[in-house]
Amino acid sequence: MSVKSEPSLLDIALTFAAISSTAFGGGQKASMRQQVLSRGWMDQERFMDGLEIAQVLPGPNILNLAVYCGQRVRGIPGAVAAFLGASVPPFVIVLIAGALYFKFAANPYVHGALRGCAAGALGLTAGNALELTWDERTQWIRIVLVAVTALAVSLLKMPLLLVLVMFGGAGIANEYLRSRKKADGAAS
Amino acid sequence: MAQHPSAFETIVHLLWTFSQLSVLGFGGGKGIIPQMHTEAVGRYHWVTSQQFTQFYTIGKLMPGPTTIFAALIGYAATPARPYLGAAVATIAMFVPSSAIMVGFDALWDRFQASPWRAIIGRGLTPAIVGLVWSSVVTIGRGAPKGVFAYAIAAVVALLMLRSKIGTPLLILLAGAVGVAALR
Repeated sequence: MSVKSEPSLLDIALTFAAISSTAFGGGQKASMRQQVLSRGWMDQERFMDGLEIAQVLPGPNILNLAVYCGQRVRGIPGAVAAFLGASVPPFVIVLIAGALYFKFAANPYVHGALRGCAAGALGLTAGNALELTWDERTQWIRIVLVAVTALAVSLLKMPLLLVLVMFGGAGIANEYLRSRKKADGAAS
Repeated sequence: MAQHPSAFETIVHLLWTFSQLSVLGFGGGKGIIPQMHTEAVGRYHWVTSQQFTQFYTIGKLMPGPTTIFAALIGYAATPARPYLGAAVATIAMFVPSSAIMVGFDALWDRFQASPWRAIIGRGLTPAIVGLVWSSVVTIGRGAPKGVFAYAIAAVVALLMLRSKIGTPLLILLAGAVGVAALR
């Protein structure tokens, strides 16, 4: 039994809605994997392929992954159902949070909490930057690219498109040359 | 600003700004924060730096992708029709990248075995990480200043790297400390 009966579009939308309204950060990928595999919508290998593509292409990884899963199961209608399931609940939740924000932000206690939360979010972003930079340490040229990009954006206000073309392009060229070298090494 | 743009103009600007960010949102959208700030705060004055940071914080605190906070920028940008602005910003933020994901299916078979998949993915990473450092600067502009606020940020960074406490809980803990100390 490789394929269970085809899921309905509502099934797909509700499955991703349940994940997107309850799971955070990396936990979303894990629960998506668990749901999709346990429902027999695809096998592990297909899912991991999708995850890799979802990470390479622009857009939030979890949303891309949901769209991928929906499309694999039911084509474009499935992709639309998964998109709605993965994006509508977070939209509604963030709007409720936003409405509360505009209502209560001036209250001194809420104001203090928001300032504390903002300091926390700054810390999380810095922690994330440190963590990601540590992963780059194996090649000095990658560390240089990280530093040059950060300086060009923060000091020179270089636009995002130019950053991706120049420093993204340099990184891709570097990877390409390394893969060529590796291939040559293996051939000789 | 000589004159305020009409609600219609603002909707068009939201649509255009966030669609561009959507298409350029490599690395899961981590890298778009500095450009989003440039547009939303510097160019169009939809929100202040402080609001930008607080909306980003709400995005991190709530389930779903962080970039859903685009909805809040749209909400603030169109005071006459906040829900329309929020919906437009969200659609512009999420639909183009998802459409690319769907369209990619046609290229799937050719790309599946291609070494370019890893080359592009790994090659873009250093630039994305550099953009995350710039995001730290961007978010810092609207975050509370002072030794105490920086201490909170440092402790949260440390806990994120060294403990298993989840993101939302860390932000809430920082908020609890903030009620006591940053009022």
